[in-house]
Amino acid sequence: MTDYKLFRQGVRDFLALELSPELVRAGELTTSVFSDFEAALKWHKILHNKGWVAPEWPKEYGGTGWDINQRYIFQEECKLANAPSIVMMAIQMLGPMLMHYGTDEQKSFYLPRILSAEDIWCQGYSEPGAGSDLASLKTSAVRDGDDYVVNGTKIWTSMARHSNRIFCLVRTNKEVKPQAGISFLLIDLNSPGITVTDIVSLDGQIEQCQVFFQDVRVPVANVVGNENEGWSVAKYLLEFERGGHNFTIDIKKQLAKLRCQAQSVKARNGKSKLQDPVFRHRLAEAEIEAMALEQTELRIKGTLSSGGNPGALSSLVKCAGTELGQRFNALSVDAVGQAATPYHPDSLNPRYAGKTPAPGYALTAMAEYINNRAATIYGGTAEIQRAIIAKQILKL
Amino acid sequence: MMTEDQQMLHDAAERYLRDNYDFNSRREVVSSSEFMSEPHWTAMASMGWMAMPFTEEQGGLGFGMQECAVVAEQFGRFLVIEPVFDSVVVAGALLTHEGVNTPDAVIEKMATGEIHIILAHAEADAAPSVTNTRALLQPTESGYRLTGEKVFVAGGGSATHFIITACLGEAFAYALVERDARGLTVEAYKTYDGRSGANICFDIHIQASALMASGEVAINAFSRARARAALIASAEALGAMDAALGATVDYTKQRVQFGQPLASFQALQHRMANMLIEVELCRSLVAAACRAHDNSATDEWALILACKVKTANAARHVTQEAIQLHGGIATTDEYIVGHYFKRVAALDSWIVSRDEALETFIAVVDAA
Ligand SMILES: Cc1cc2nc3c(=O)[nH]c(=O)nc-3n(C[C@H](O)[C@H](O)[C@H](O)COP(=O)(O)OP(=O)(O)OC[C@H]3O[C@@H](n4cnc5c(N)ncnc54)[C@H](O)[C@@H]3O)c2cc1C
Repeated sequence: MTDYKLFRQGVRDFLALELSPELVRAGELTTSVFSDFEAALKWHKILHNKGWVAPEWPKEYGGTGWDINQRYIFQEECKLANAPSIVMMAIQMLGPMLMHYGTDEQKSFYLPRILSAEDIWCQGYSEPGAGSDLASLKTSAVRDGDDYVVNGTKIWTSMARHSNRIFCLVRTNKEVKPQAGISFLLIDLNSPGITVTDIVSLDGQIEQCQVFFQDVRVPVANVVGNENEGWSVAKYLLEFERGGHNFTIDIKKQLAKLRCQAQSVKARNGKSKLQDPVFRHRLAEAEIEAMALEQTELRIKGTLSSGGNPGALSSLVKCAGTELGQRFNALSVDAVGQAATPYHPDSLNPRYAGKTPAPGYALTAMAEYINNRAATIYGGTAEIQRAIIAKQILKL
Repeated sequence: MMTEDQQMLHDAAERYLRDNYDFNSRREVVSSSEFMSEPHWTAMASMGWMAMPFTEEQGGLGFGMQECAVVAEQFGRFLVIEPVFDSVVVAGALLTHEGVNTPDAVIEKMATGEIHIILAHAEADAAPSVTNTRALLQPTESGYRLTGEKVFVAGGGSATHFIITACLGEAFAYALVERDARGLTVEAYKTYDGRSGANICFDIHIQASALMASGEVAINAFSRARARAALIASAEALGAMDAALGATVDYTKQRVQFGQPLASFQALQHRMANMLIEVELCRSLVAAACRAHDNSATDEWALILACKVKTANAARHVTQEAIQLHGGIATTDEYIVGHYFKRVAALDSWIVSRDEALETFIAVVDAA
C-alpha cells in the first residue's frame, strides 16, 4: 500500500524547497492555461531534474511510476503552492501519441527532448476554415522525393511564438473522404517558409498565433503513424487533451481565491462581500456544483484505476468543468467589482515590482474572466462535446 | 413606441455613430495613449447630447431619462468610450438636485462639453454604496480641507473635474474639485473595456462654495445619481447585447462548418432565439424604468432596480453566448464581439452593482 500522506508530504517538501518567490508570483498571476513563459520554462527544468515533469508517462519513457492517486496529489499540491503551469501540449498529448504510434527513432529522438524542454511543441490542428469541422482542413503536404512540401495555414496555435516545433494535421490525399486523406506530421518551426504571427487576445495578452507554411520541406520520416491515417492518430490524441485534466483541482483553487477576494471587499453594512447574503447564496450554489463535479471526477478516476476508459464521460466532465470554472470567474469579477476594471498588463508580469492600480486580490479577476471564455471553445467546443454525449452515450 | 423626439435622437445618434465611430477607428483611440477622442467629444457636444438632461433654464434640452436612454443604447451598440453620461447624467444629477449649490456656469459648461465632471466616490476595498466614506472634509477659516483617496473612478482619465464624496463630521457631503487642483494627484489608467479609470489622492483646500451639498440633500442627490446611473448602465447594456446578438446572427449565417452555415444548426438557432428573448425583455424593462423615473412613479425604485438586475444578467448571458457561438474568432482583440462582453462586464459594477441592486430590490419590494 502506498502511503499517500507520506507521499503528499514529500511533494510539499519539494515544492517548499524549489518554488522560488518569482515562480510562485508567476503562478499567482496566471490568468489562462499558460503561465508566464519564462517562469514556466524554469519550473519545467526544475521538475525535469527531479524526474517529475511527466507523471502520466510510463516509467520506461521517463515517467514517475506513480499511481493515479499520487498523480492527483501531485497536481493538487502544485496548484495549491501556486506553481506556474508548464507548457503541456507535448507532455500531455504528443508524448503519449508517439509512444503509441511513433517509430523507435521518433521515440528516442523526441521523447527525451520533450522532457528536457529542449523542444517546445505547439499543436497545429485548427485552420481558419476548419474549427469544429476539423476534417475539412486544407493545409496540404505533397510528396516530393524524401520530403513533403507543405502549404497552408494553421490558426489559434497556442504558444507557437515560444515553440520550435509543431505537430500538425495535414492533407496528403484530396481524392478520398476528408477523414481518410489526413496525415500527422511533425514540423520544425525553423524550417524555411514558415511565418508565425501573433494574435492579440481579448484580454490583451498574446498566447495564440497563426502559422503560415509556404513550400515548407518536411522529411517524410516525420509522419507519425501511416500516411493518410492521421485522423485516427489525432482522435487518440484528443482523448488525452480532454481526459487527464482534473477540473476539481482548478476549481478548488478558484474557490479559495474567490473567498479571499470576497473577504477583502466590504459592503455597506461593514460586512464583507462574503457575508452579503445575495452573493453568499450564489457562491454556495456554485460550491455545490463543484462538489458534484468532484464526486464525478472521483467516480471516473475509480473506473480508470481499474483499467477502464472514460470515453465520452470526459466530454461530460469537460462541459461541466469548464462551465463551472467560468461561473467562478464571473463570481470573482462580481466580488471585486470595479477593482477588476483597470487594464494594466504590467500588473500581471511576475517580474514587475511597481505600483498597480488595483489591489493584489483583484489583479487577475477580469483577465481570467475574459480569457476563460475560451475554455468552452478550445479542445472541442461545448457544443461539440454535447454532440459526442448525445451520440456516444445517449445513442441519438 | 418612441415619441417623435426619441425617434429623432435615436436616428441622429445612430447615424453619427455609424458614420464616424466604426470599430477600427475606435480601436485606434483605445490603443493610443489618449483616454478618449477629443474630436468625438466635441462632436457629441454639438449634437446636443450633453445638454439633454438639463432644463432649458439651465441651458439644456430638458429631456428625461427616456431620451437619454435612447442615446445611451446607441453608445452601447457602438461601444462609445467617451464618458458623456458619466458626466451629464451622473455628475449632472448630483449638481442639479434641489438644494445643491451649483453655479449656473458649471452646468452651462457641462452642457456644452467644455468641462466634464466625474463622480469620485469608491474607496479601496469598500462597496460603492458605502456613504460613510473615509475621505474627510474639515472646516477651515476660508473653506474646507479635503483629504483622502478615491479609486476606480470610471472616466477619470479624461475628467476635467471631480465630484469627491466625503464625510463632513457625521454628514455625507460632496465637493466639486478641478483636476489640476493643487494637492490632488491623479493616477489614470486604461480599463478593460477601452475606457479609462483613475485613482486619485488628495489633500486640498477648497473654498466654501466648492462644497456642493451635505447631509440629507447630499444623500438624496446621491441616491438619484445612482438611480440614473443604473438606468444608463441598463440602456447601454441593452445596446451592447442587441449588437452582440446581431453580430452573432450575421456571423453564423456566413460561417460554414460541416458543409453548412452554422445558423442552420437548430441547436444554435435556439440559442440565438433565447438571446433575442432576453434582449426584448430588457428593452421593455429599460423603457418602463426610465418612464417611471421621469414620472416619479411610486414604483420607480422597484422598476429601476429590477431593470439593473435583469439587464446585467441578460447582457452577461447574451454577450457570453455571442462569444461562444462565434468560436475562436471572438476571443481576439481584433474582432468586435468580445468587446461588447467586456463593456458589459464593466457596466455590471459601475456605480450600482448588480448584487447591490438585487439586495436593495428585496428591501424595496418588501417595504411596499
Ligand atoms: C484560446 C484558444 C486556444 C486554442 N489553441 C489551439 C491550439 O493550440 N491548436 C489548435 O489546433 N487549435 C487551437 N484552438 C482552436 C480551437 O480548437 C477551435 O477554436 C475550436 O475547435 C472551434 O473552432 P472555431 O473557432 O473555428 O469555431 P467554429 O467551429 O466555427 O464554431 C463556432 C460555433 O459553432 C458551434 N458549432 C459548430 N459546429 C456545430 C454543430 N455541428 N452543431 C452545433 N454547434 C456547432 C461551435 O460549437 C461554436 O459555438 C484554440 C482556440 C482558442 C480559443
